[in-house]
Amino acid sequence: MGRTLLCEIVTPERIIYTSEVKMVVAPTIDGEVGILPLHAPLVSALKPGEIRVRYGDDEVEWFAISGGYIQVHMDKVIILADHAAIASQIDVERARHALELAEKRMAELPKDAEAEISACEQQLKWCEIQVEVAKKA
Amino acid sequence: MANLRDIKRRITSVHSTRQITRTMEMVATAKIKKAQERIESARPYAMSMMEVLGNVARNAKGAEHPLLLEHEERRRVAVIAVTGDRGLAGAFNSNILRMTERFIREQLDAGVEVDLLAIGKKAGGYFRYRGIEPVAAYRDISGNPTFADAKSIAAHVIPAYAGGNLDEVVIMFNRFKNVAEQVPEQYKLLPIRATMLDEAAKDSDVTAEYVFEPDAESVLEHLLPTYVETLIYRALMESAASEHGARRKAMKSATDNATDMIGTLTRSYNRARQAAITTEIAEIVGGAAALED
Repeated sequence: MGRTLLCEIVTPERIIYTSEVKMVVAPTIDGEVGILPLHAPLVSALKPGEIRVRYGDDEVEWFAISGGYIQVHMDKVIILADHAAIASQIDVERARHALELAEKRMAELPKDAEAEISACEQQLKWCEIQVEVAKKA
Repeated sequence: MANLRDIKRRITSVHSTRQITRTMEMVATAKIKKAQERIESARPYAMSMMEVLGNVARNAKGAEHPLLLEHEERRRVAVIAVTGDRGLAGAFNSNILRMTERFIREQLDAGVEVDLLAIGKKAGGYFRYRGIEPVAAYRDISGNPTFADAKSIAAHVIPAYAGGNLDEVVIMFNRFKNVAEQVPEQYKLLPIRATMLDEAAKDSDVTAEYVFEPDAESVLEHLLPTYVETLIYRALMESAASEHGARRKAMKSATDNATDMIGTLTRSYNRARQAAITTEIAEIVGGAAALED
């Protein structure tokens, strides 16, 4: 099956995923980056979004991530993310519920609580992405 | 005879106390293991992060970042005190509380204002009682600290430091050395030690020519706050593991003390019983002798 990449998706809490793959597509700050074997060494910041991992011709797996970093070196792709989830394992009901909760809290927060507001915004975004990505599984 | 019954009652009471402390000891032992596993599973991220940080630092030499910058004047500092939600863990909480209180006093004496972030019910209660109102208080973290908790704590200090409202951030927590030993530690989170970047850069692969997107400086700008968050996360986890370790030790000695106490009490019980019997026999013998005359 030719050259492959070792792809690792890691969160501070644990390793979410590690496998030999053919291609990785990740959302960078400026757009999207597709990594194939023999890619040049790269370090980039990632924005919240979806990651596509391709094994064979039509075997694709989706991940939701809440932003982070990607490092490519010697056919090894490391993705560091605050949160990450495999599309097939996302609990849509729960994500929707969390989304509603976050929206509600957002509305109640005082305007000067900057730390809380930015945390809440991130939470909102993360829930949205989960719901979005779960549809693709 | 009242004495006999009193002793018996005390033995029963110490017995049931021992049952509780022994159970708590066993629960803590089980929880240490889980907490240790959690620390272990956080290692891959921390290591990869240091690798990336090293690569970035090598390519962004001399980059100035507000989190690396030491402030000339110290006007306001923040201290994060990490304690548990519950007591019965020996000196676990009091070590941190005492250390934090001393730190706050020193700063106030030097004319520096202090923002306190109280993690754990114990810290919140202790300082509120002493008239020091925390700017932020967290509870119910010590059981299972998450990265989101660490992020939320970091959100109180990182923007404030970058914006110049804070001139130093320290965290006080119990470092988990091993199952039997926890060491209270004071760690300076901000400014980030500049040598940290050099050390990380030294370990990175020099032969690889990395491409940075958008550029090394911007990646560094994103990475440094995350680095501080992982430090806080790590401190929270170590503190959680330490709490169980300390509680296990405290409960073990409580159980041992109870066992000793039961031994002593049983001895005095037996002695009292024997004395009672001897008195009774003496009375009977005396009574019989009186009848014979």
